[in-house]
Amino acid sequence: MEQNILLQLSHISKRFKTDLALKDISMSLHPGEVLGFLGPSGAGKTTTIKIITGQLRQTSGEARILGTDSTNIDASIYEKIGVVSDNSGIYEKMTVWQNLVMFAQIWGVSNARVEEVLRQVGLGEHRKKQAGKLSKGQTQRLVLARAVLHKPKILFLDEPTSGLDPATAVEIHKMLLDLKAEGMAIFLTTHNMEEATKLCDSVALLHQGEIVEFGSPQELCLKYNTNKRYRVLLDGKEEVVLEQTSENVDMIADWMRRNQVQRIHSCEPTLESVFLQVTGKALSA
Amino acid sequence: MGNTMGNMNKLFAVARIKWICISRNASVMLGPILVVGMVLMYKVLYGSMVGGELPPILTGVILSLGISMNICMDGFMMVGMAIAEEKEKHTLRVLMTSSITGGQYFVGSILFPFVLTVAVNFVVLLISQVSMEYVSMPAFFLVSVTASLISCVLGMVVGICASNQMNASLIAYPLLMVFMMIPILGNLSETLRKVSGFLFTGVLTEMTNCFANETRYMVKPLDVAVLAGELVISVLVFLILYKKNGYEKD
Repeated sequence: MEQNILLQLSHISKRFKTDLALKDISMSLHPGEVLGFLGPSGAGKTTTIKIITGQLRQTSGEARILGTDSTNIDASIYEKIGVVSDNSGIYEKMTVWQNLVMFAQIWGVSNARVEEVLRQVGLGEHRKKQAGKLSKGQTQRLVLARAVLHKPKILFLDEPTSGLDPATAVEIHKMLLDLKAEGMAIFLTTHNMEEATKLCDSVALLHQGEIVEFGSPQELCLKYNTNKRYRVLLDGKEEVVLEQTSENVDMIADWMRRNQVQRIHSCEPTLESVFLQVTGKALSA
Repeated sequence: MGNTMGNMNKLFAVARIKWICISRNASVMLGPILVVGMVLMYKVLYGSMVGGELPPILTGVILSLGISMNICMDGFMMVGMAIAEEKEKHTLRVLMTSSITGGQYFVGSILFPFVLTVAVNFVVLLISQVSMEYVSMPAFFLVSVTASLISCVLGMVVGICASNQMNASLIAYPLLMVFMMIPILGNLSETLRKVSGFLFTGVLTEMTNCFANETRYMVKPLDVAVLAGELVISVLVFLILYKKNGYEKD
């Protein structure tokens, strides 16, 4: 096996009674890489995380996390990984500081590190505030702070910005990109394709428990850009969408020569439309 | 050595979390306050009825009521409700995915309620006006500690079965009825008295009745068998449920 693979899934399947929730899932994750699992609710994203983190056992296949078979891992694995789900709770009756210090004690982390993380997530001035009184965005930042307190090698994020306002989601994205820059590997599940495009080095499109496409967001968008088109805004505020034909290329060139083009964009598909094209279903369904 | 320290730190972190959560949950903390308050109130009421020192039978009633109530309300309710609250607030999974083992969570969860239950038992004994001359402290300590432990383990069973705090109350009440009411009502019915002899709370009540009646209490083999048997059974029930679904069903 490659030395720097932190996570390796080989032909993972999971069956719940008669329902096949995951089919032949294979992938790997390296340090400093963000891997996105994209799919609508019920596609098998959370099930995958639970199998990898030992909370659920697969029906077949092998999952290795930090070199250990996920069926053989014990509680000590959580000293090296961080887990955030969309419903990760906080101790509402404790202060922000207490919420972190309790987990710092569990992981043997110093109070100086708690200070550092508090500052990093912008909750330094709220340290004495009761956690139950935080806004939704602040709560999610606290959850994230707690998950990275012990500097995990892999961070599992299950819909981390679900239900957050756009401004808070942007803050969370910035934090995640900083963590990636520090070398942390991130396994992200989301049905938000903009989030995936912004954060992920590679994405797996999951449909009914199966990976139907895999690659970098750009690769996938270009792969399905079979019908090349351009959206052009002209001087007269007229907007036209033109397919890539030799006549249209000449026409655009002519407009440009005459300085009539205000704006021009290529119309390659988004991850959302790629998903729709591959599965026939919308990602947000 | 370092590993042992780490494990102890984790255990104490869970105990600390539980201490903060339980001590800030008014409905749960009302239990021990209610027990002490009720014993004091009964003492005053009965005292004013008889116009002086309480006869042993009334002291016995007060003592057994207080201790039975304490054992059941603090153990079942405090431990069970605290786990149910963690499920309700989605913090149990967070804790269990932070390298805490099932054993550490178990010990950490019952530590504070167990100590509190034992302490309140002693407070009830001291304020009940029972004559200390006839109180066998080693026997009281042994029976009280074992009974408190059983009730805390049963509280863990309540917590493992409950999905939320409301649910925990519903599960705990039948246990409360059996383990609290049968020994108390044992004074009124011979059948219930016999049944009570096979309950860990019944052993405790019988002992406190002896103290109140100013007779020497001797730990009988049946008492030891009941206490040990019910401790083993409650641990086994807990382990079976834990093996099945862990602390929280998916």
